[in-house]
Amino acid sequence: MAEHNSNKQNDQEYLSAMPNQEFDQAVTTMQNNIQTEIAASSALVGRKEEISRLKAEYSDDDSPYQQKIKELCKLYSHVRKTRGDGNCFFRAFGFGYLEVMLHNKKDYSKFQENANGTFKKLMSLNYPAFTVEDFFENFMSLVNSIGEKTTLEELTQSFVDEGLSNYFVVYLRLIASCQLQIDADFYQNFIDSGKSVVEFCKTEVEPMYQESDHIHIIALTSALGASVRVAYMDRGGEQLIFHDFPEDCEPTLHLLYKPGHYDILYPR
Amino acid sequence: MERSYNLRSPAVKRLMKEAQELSSATYEYAARPLEDNLFEWHFTFRGPKESDFDGGVYHGRIILPPEYPMKPPSIMLLNANGRFELNKKICLSISGYHPESWQPSWSIRTAILAIIGFMPTKGEGAIGALDYTADERKVLARKSHAFTCNTCGLVKDLLPSEAEHPEITDAESKDLELAKQITFGSPKNEKKKSDESDEKIAETNSDVTPGVSNPSEQDGVRMRSTVTAPSTTPPPPRRRQINQSNDSSTMLIVLLAVAIAILFLRRLDKSYNVSSLLADYL
Repeated sequence: MAEHNSNKQNDQEYLSAMPNQEFDQAVTTMQNNIQTEIAASSALVGRKEEISRLKAEYSDDDSPYQQKIKELCKLYSHVRKTRGDGNCFFRAFGFGYLEVMLHNKKDYSKFQENANGTFKKLMSLNYPAFTVEDFFENFMSLVNSIGEKTTLEELTQSFVDEGLSNYFVVYLRLIASCQLQIDADFYQNFIDSGKSVVEFCKTEVEPMYQESDHIHIIALTSALGASVRVAYMDRGGEQLIFHDFPEDCEPTLHLLYKPGHYDILYPR
Repeated sequence: MERSYNLRSPAVKRLMKEAQELSSATYEYAARPLEDNLFEWHFTFRGPKESDFDGGVYHGRIILPPEYPMKPPSIMLLNANGRFELNKKICLSISGYHPESWQPSWSIRTAILAIIGFMPTKGEGAIGALDYTADERKVLARKSHAFTCNTCGLVKDLLPSEAEHPEITDAESKDLELAKQITFGSPKNEKKKSDESDEKIAETNSDVTPGVSNPSEQDGVRMRSTVTAPSTTPPPPRRRQINQSNDSSTMLIVLLAVAIAILFLRRLDKSYNVSSLLADYL
């Protein structure tokens, strides 16, 4: 969401000059405007594109990025963009994983089994069945459709439909939140804002449009027994950095991270 | 419902489910969608017992955004109560003023229970909050029985009388628990508070290790730094340093204790010349 940075300073000046009473409303309006702008310019899940098309997004003399894109091109053939609405990690994970499993039956049955078990876990944490059931059913019907010869086209249709796609993201967030709470003693060490695990889940995991951090990825992959490799591309350092979740796994899904955003990668 | 809705839309399915769940009024509250609009509801509730609102019957409107339940409902009250301004969005973490903290697993019932729970709390200058006196509120509670909504009619008739007191269901009691998590107040103040405590921690942190604090440590002190400004070497997740806000006060106490000890030792040193003794000993 780099294109919004230039406006950021003006926005801040504008906000600080404002009485408390109007502040909240102004922030909300501003956030909504940004979201509408992003929604208009990109699909929730985009088309599969040649990886080399990334080159055009940075100027030719931007050597740190051009260097790293060269590296990416050697390893990956295609990229699929997701909308930068704060849900991009969960959406990229959801779509990317299901897409891989269209052709990977072995991982699929494990994934399906883990996914099925999550509802009981959430109930054990006293979540309201009334609403969570709704998300769970929607989630499982998409997961189950993978085992029932659904096509990539149908999967894409579900993920570009705002309602269905967001329902899927909500449940992935609940799965991550559940895992964090079940293993709270472990995850507490990684929360550096002074919040408790429960507070963290309520404010930074479960609400939609909240961006994801490592802790979200670790929790989600371990809850679903999934394996993900993330390629990190930013201005620092000479080379791409890769990180596998969990460590030492054979990754099923590959994601590309650029500051603040996740897209899906397809290995050569 | 006269209007036709897209039944594939999860928001529509969800709201129909909620309408079904809330179709029979409880003693404390009732809510239902308007006949011609599933995305606008009216609700009625009794003032909490043993509060200034005891005996009052209050009525309000809930507007659901098209993105519901991804985004929160907006809630406003329609009859005078002395706690919330009329026809103005109520500022709860559950309502439209705090979209960033709304959780999709909350429901309209969670929102109504939260409003009931917040009636007896202090307004403290939040948007749409009123701090009327107890007497004024009691007068308004009595007057509320005469209130008639243009859509729903005499609102006191919308709730069953004490005699037919329905029992609390399991789902309802879970929502009661959820409603307790909901915070109240302006996000600007909340944000300020957390920034302040973070600054304090940053100060104590640099006090402890003067000149040693490296940039990544400072990052660790700032909130959410890893999300907005990812470092060049992202993995593995950092262990927390001195980050809990409780820790900041503990750190201050420790620092003060150390300072006092040093002063005390210096005094001892002056009177007994311990340092030269120590130097000899070493």
